[in-house]
Amino acid sequence: MNKILVFDFRLLILAMSMATILFASAPAHAMSGRQVYEKVHEVRIKSLNRQTEFAMTLFDKGGGTRSRAAVEYCRKTGPEAYKVLVVFKTPPDLKDVGFLVHARTFTDRDLWAYFPEFKRIRRIPTNSQDDSFFGSDFSYDDFGGPPNLDEYSFTILREEVQDGRPCYVVEVTPKVRRKWNRYVAWVAKDLFIHLKIEYFKDQEPYRAGTFTDVRIVDDIPTPFKMRMENVKTGHKTELTIESLRYHTSFPDELFTQRSLERAGK
Amino acid sequence: MKLLNLLRHISLKHIRLQKAQLAMAIAGICLGVAAMVAIDLVNISVLKSFEDSINHATGRASLQITGAESGFPEEMLDRIQNLPGIEYAVPVIETNASLAGGQERSIMILGVDVLQDHQIRDYSLTDESADIPDPLMFLAKRDSLLLTRAMAEQEGIKIDQEIKIQTVAGLKTFKVRGLLNPEGPAKVAGGDIAVMDVYAAQMAFGKVGRLDRIDVSLLAGENLDAMKERITLALPAGYDVDTPAGRTRQVEILLGRFRNSMGLISFMALFVGMYLIYNTVSISIVQRRREIGILRALGAGRLQIAGLFLTETLAASAIAALLGIGLGLLFAKASIGLVAQSVTDMYVKASVSELAFAWPAVLKNAGIGMLASLVAAALPAIAGARITPVSAIRAHSYTPDGFLLSNRIRIAAIGCILISILCLVLFESAAPGSHLRSLGLVFTAVISLLAGVSLAVPILLKWFIPLLHNLLAVCFGAQGRLAGLNLQKNVTRNGVAVAAILCSIALFVSSANSVNSLRTSLFEWFDSIIRADILVSSGHPLAAGGAPTIPMPGEMLGEIAKLPGVSSVEPFRKGRVSYNGRKVLLEIFDVALRMEYCPAMIATGKREDMASLLPGQDNVVVNEAMAVKDRIKPGDTIVLPTPNGPVRFGVAAIIVSFTSDSGVVWMDVNTYRRHWRDDLVDTFEVLVKPDAEIKTVRQAILDRFGQERKLFALPAAEFKVEVRKILDRSFVMTNAVNILTLVIAGLGIIVTLLASVLERTREIGILRGIGMTRSQVSGVVIIESALIGAIGGVLGAATGILIGWIEVEGIFRLDFGASIGYHVHYPAIGLALLLAIGLSTLAGLYPARRAAGTNIVEALSYE
Repeated sequence: MNKILVFDFRLLILAMSMATILFASAPAHAMSGRQVYEKVHEVRIKSLNRQTEFAMTLFDKGGGTRSRAAVEYCRKTGPEAYKVLVVFKTPPDLKDVGFLVHARTFTDRDLWAYFPEFKRIRRIPTNSQDDSFFGSDFSYDDFGGPPNLDEYSFTILREEVQDGRPCYVVEVTPKVRRKWNRYVAWVAKDLFIHLKIEYFKDQEPYRAGTFTDVRIVDDIPTPFKMRMENVKTGHKTELTIESLRYHTSFPDELFTQRSLERAGK
Repeated sequence: MKLLNLLRHISLKHIRLQKAQLAMAIAGICLGVAAMVAIDLVNISVLKSFEDSINHATGRASLQITGAESGFPEEMLDRIQNLPGIEYAVPVIETNASLAGGQERSIMILGVDVLQDHQIRDYSLTDESADIPDPLMFLAKRDSLLLTRAMAEQEGIKIDQEIKIQTVAGLKTFKVRGLLNPEGPAKVAGGDIAVMDVYAAQMAFGKVGRLDRIDVSLLAGENLDAMKERITLALPAGYDVDTPAGRTRQVEILLGRFRNSMGLISFMALFVGMYLIYNTVSISIVQRRREIGILRALGAGRLQIAGLFLTETLAASAIAALLGIGLGLLFAKASIGLVAQSVTDMYVKASVSELAFAWPAVLKNAGIGMLASLVAAALPAIAGARITPVSAIRAHSYTPDGFLLSNRIRIAAIGCILISILCLVLFESAAPGSHLRSLGLVFTAVISLLAGVSLAVPILLKWFIPLLHNLLAVCFGAQGRLAGLNLQKNVTRNGVAVAAILCSIALFVSSANSVNSLRTSLFEWFDSIIRADILVSSGHPLAAGGAPTIPMPGEMLGEIAKLPGVSSVEPFRKGRVSYNGRKVLLEIFDVALRMEYCPAMIATGKREDMASLLPGQDNVVVNEAMAVKDRIKPGDTIVLPTPNGPVRFGVAAIIVSFTSDSGVVWMDVNTYRRHWRDDLVDTFEVLVKPDAEIKTVRQAILDRFGQERKLFALPAAEFKVEVRKILDRSFVMTNAVNILTLVIAGLGIIVTLLASVLERTREIGILRGIGMTRSQVSGVVIIESALIGAIGGVLGAATGILIGWIEVEGIFRLDFGASIGYHVHYPAIGLALLLAIGLSTLAGLYPARRAAGTNIVEALSYE
């Protein structure tokens, strides 16, 4: 009897060890796709108080390039609410062109633009996350994933290494009508930011982008170089952050229409 | 005796023997159907091009709001956007411009809110529907422009290229910042379109703070009519709220008279073709009298005999209709450009890229052609069915059955003429605005007159030809006398050929006289209102269908006045305002200046009444068309919508003006500026000093402003020449169909004379036997032919003069309400007579050759 008990106990330990080994080596999408994007969202919210100076270069299909530089001020005003002011500095034709965003949530926002030549503030309809980000090939989704997770389904397709970082390759499919049918995102497992993204429309590639030169600034992972291409038109946009400060504290007056007209001065 | 057997054994045999006659008859109906098909297809294509343009431009808009042509305050956009039930409301500026350089192409500028417009129209700045390398720069710069890819390729323009366009502020440089692919709005105006941001367009074209249109889409489930009412109530008086289809309908109404007149003319071509059918069937019956008698003796009923001829006609007309459809397509393709140009000259810009084929229109016209043939064949078929077997089998020389000389026909002829007179009396005696003053009554008068005179032709021939015998003998010797006798022998058949010529010539002469009357009256009126020596505008004064040219700043008046040789400068502005559910033309000028040197043609009131239009008073004058339509007289008041709300204006007098048949209002420029706050000018009318030369002053104007804007400084004399050209161009189609009807009538003469030659084979044999030469025989036939033409020509000219008068009195007065005098165009009458005789003589050549080639021996044994 004692011999049997000892034998059973050893079997149990063996079974437990094997189970531990098995579970330890199992793929880490024990985390679901949705859970991945909840983490992506968290990172995005952490980055809402910031000042950025960035350069944007547009490449047309003929090879021509157009560059611009802008400064962005962002202030968090609620759990998912924020305000943004972007003012372009160069080229001279775009100097003092500005955009103002008042977001109650990531989907519910008001957007205004100011064009000095017209001396007119114009409201921009913002009923879609597919809107172009200030005239570039990027959309708002590209930077921080879809805002309302309940409107999408997330499937981890596989795990892959991208730019030396292990990533979840997640397929995001909207339950609501969008300009695209699905996209596939490479989300860094350790940082929960996009490193690569591919959009599909009618099963054909539509837009493709990469997020590189990732740096940790004030504990917040940030890609300093972003590139997006419209596969259909051949148009590309490259966005490079030149300076970045988090945990800023700007006054609310900076995010008014008057401030927009005065280019933030 | 089955119809099919009759067709197989009897009809086919005759078709083989009378190929030429049948071919002529088919040709006549074919041409008539071709004319109708061509005109219908051209009309449909022109309208479809408007509809497509409007649809491409309006996208998902359910309703469109328009106001004064000079634009309405953009605050209305906020009012509309905030109404419940509105999904999107987007602003639009729509104006014409021209590219400076290259082909100096006329283009439409569409100014849209590019940030929102994709909600309504199917395109976006950031997807495949457009190639825009830098959307942000496009938005930020007010010199940004998008061209259609098609236009850019044609003009050799690339992205980032600068182009010059005429604007209110003069020639301005714009940068092409993108190209639109050929979908959605890029298809408007045949691709001759440029898209700008709406606020950039406002600044460039002098409409700051104003819009031309608001396009509205509604929330799902909203009732269209209820929303239309809601929007109308939210706006001040004078705004139009209509569906895009409604705008097409407005264009359709605008083109209505043009289309109706073209339709009527094409029907006349068929009408003449009916004479041809009548004649052909009549001749066939006479030639087959014996056969008819045999068939009747063998038991064929009257219905079967009539059915035989009608079935033959149906078969022939079906072939003719099919051929007519094909020919009509060719005519339509050949003429579509010309018609589109005429519509552009007179109404609105029309750019038709392709012919719209519409089966219903084509089948309708083919059906009309076949029905008309059956109607034309019915009378002789019934007459043929009544031939008794005994009389048919006995040998008779060809004599008419006398039907067209019968009392019934005489009564019918008189009756038709009396109906025509009655219609005219009713029309003339009816009060202005009465229902009796209708186009229907006028057309009834015209058709009745034509029918009455046509029916009277055999009787007239019978009376007048004997009077011509001596004259013919003196002029042409024995040949002339013989020709006259031959005409007398078969008055019925020859009468139909004369009637065909009569109708064609009547149409020709009436058109010429109407056009001459319009032209003469127009120029008399022009002289009364255009006393300036030079007309200065930024677009050609007669460009693009009266669509507004780019207006010029009012300050230019002072600059022009300072130039050497200039005596005075008067500003002229025009626009359209809504009145009583339609658009009327508002013409604005300096009344004080105009009264000094230019008397207006006053229809009701006195010239001194014009003084009440002087500044400080809210008075206007209206034209006769508007006075008749809306029952306005001097002393009444009318309410016109202005940007600041409706204003009541007193009517000082009724004037003559042909500028618009929907209504013209004259207003002093100071009154206009006070209410409309618009100091732009469309044309500066420059009076030159007596001691200065017009061309020197013109050059000085061009030199002064040539660097900063493209100007047209047109001497008034040249302007009038251009107007004449436009008028002439508008009548090219009418003239083409007139000539077509003459050709059809000519075919009728060939058929008539061929039949005559055949029936006189024995007689010709005898004449040849007794020594008449071939040339003398052919001479007889040619003189007969010329006589038919001459008699038809004279009767046609006389009838045409009457019809022309009816058209001027009825149609033009109904449309323009203006005092257009009737001016007979004598050269046209001379030409018509020459055409009638010439064409008839030409038509007689072939039958004359057949007659001359008659073999004497065969002819003598012919029965």
